[in-house]
Amino acid sequence: MAEHFKPKITLFHCINTFGDAAEIYLTGKDNCELKTVKMPCSSMVKDIFLLRAFEAGADGVIVLVCPEGQCRYIEGNIRAKKRVAWVQNLLDEIGLDGRRLSLTNMAAGDKSTAIQAMDDVLKNLAEMGPNPAV
Amino acid sequence: MIVGEQKSISEIKGIIAPYKKILIMGCGTCVKTCFAGGEDEVAVLASALRLACKKDGKKIDIEEFTVERQCEDEFIQEGAPAVSRNDGVLSLACGAGVQALARRFVKTPVFPGVNTTFIGVLEKQGVFTEECAGCGDCKLAVFGGICPVTRCAKKLLNGPCGGSQNGKCEINPETDCAWQMIIERLRILGQMNNLRVYIPPKNWRTSLSGGPRKMVREDHMI
Repeated sequence: MAEHFKPKITLFHCINTFGDAAEIYLTGKDNCELKTVKMPCSSMVKDIFLLRAFEAGADGVIVLVCPEGQCRYIEGNIRAKKRVAWVQNLLDEIGLDGRRLSLTNMAAGDKSTAIQAMDDVLKNLAEMGPNPAV
Repeated sequence: MIVGEQKSISEIKGIIAPYKKILIMGCGTCVKTCFAGGEDEVAVLASALRLACKKDGKKIDIEEFTVERQCEDEFIQEGAPAVSRNDGVLSLACGAGVQALARRFVKTPVFPGVNTTFIGVLEKQGVFTEECAGCGDCKLAVFGGICPVTRCAKKLLNGPCGGSQNGKCEINPETDCAWQMIIERLRILGQMNNLRVYIPPKNWRTSLSGGPRKMVREDHMI
């Protein structure tokens, strides 16, 4: 792993669970480069968007969704969960390691869960190193 | 619809390995409906292959293009400029689409990216079931609209085998017994007398067993 590896992370999040205030808090972290993509519902997170994030240079991708059973559009977070699992398998098959992509359920405004998700990804990335397809 | 399943990334990587420029061509009809080869699947596969090749340090240009129907020359023609820009075409259509491309673009290698699986229906979201074997001699009128040729593991035409349990096939307990369904349906339709109709041994010459088939409609030919 490179000595000064500063991971690039793309964060997809549902605006109903993760607002601007929390976003500002996370982007304030200086141990990674964070790019955020807001979605009206996590069901918008299609397979291709996740893969394109990696093509664009992300070392890790995080998807933040509402807790199960609390999606404003009923099943958006379930769809997101299935798509993330599908892309994780694809990343494993490619040899990029599915752990680079993660999904976390969090209640609206629950900063600590978001920060924990970020810390988990950073911990995994410290082990895996930069995206080998960049 | 014709149901297909995309091949694994590793198999596809092996197929396209000798080429530097590849066109992935999707089909917007059957394989789009079963999530194997429509525009979205073309984009996902192209992205996955680009990542896989970059990771392996291999340079490859991948172009994406999807036509409405890959089994018709009229639609395939739209892809001609894209085909001419590439060394080979990876088709995400069914086997008919792959061969239609190969026929049209004689000098360009064409490869399958999908395993064509069966003629089926969307049973529920995400579940596809085989319901037609394309035998060329349809007897669904007698069987209440349920095909024993396709849906009975033993292809029995004159009643159940007696091995089913609780409406499930003895060959695979996940599969509904076709004859149980036929009898229930005929009962609903008041057509139980159909069960008295003797179906003689099937003439399989109308199926693929008789060799590749061709249908000619003189009235549509000019």
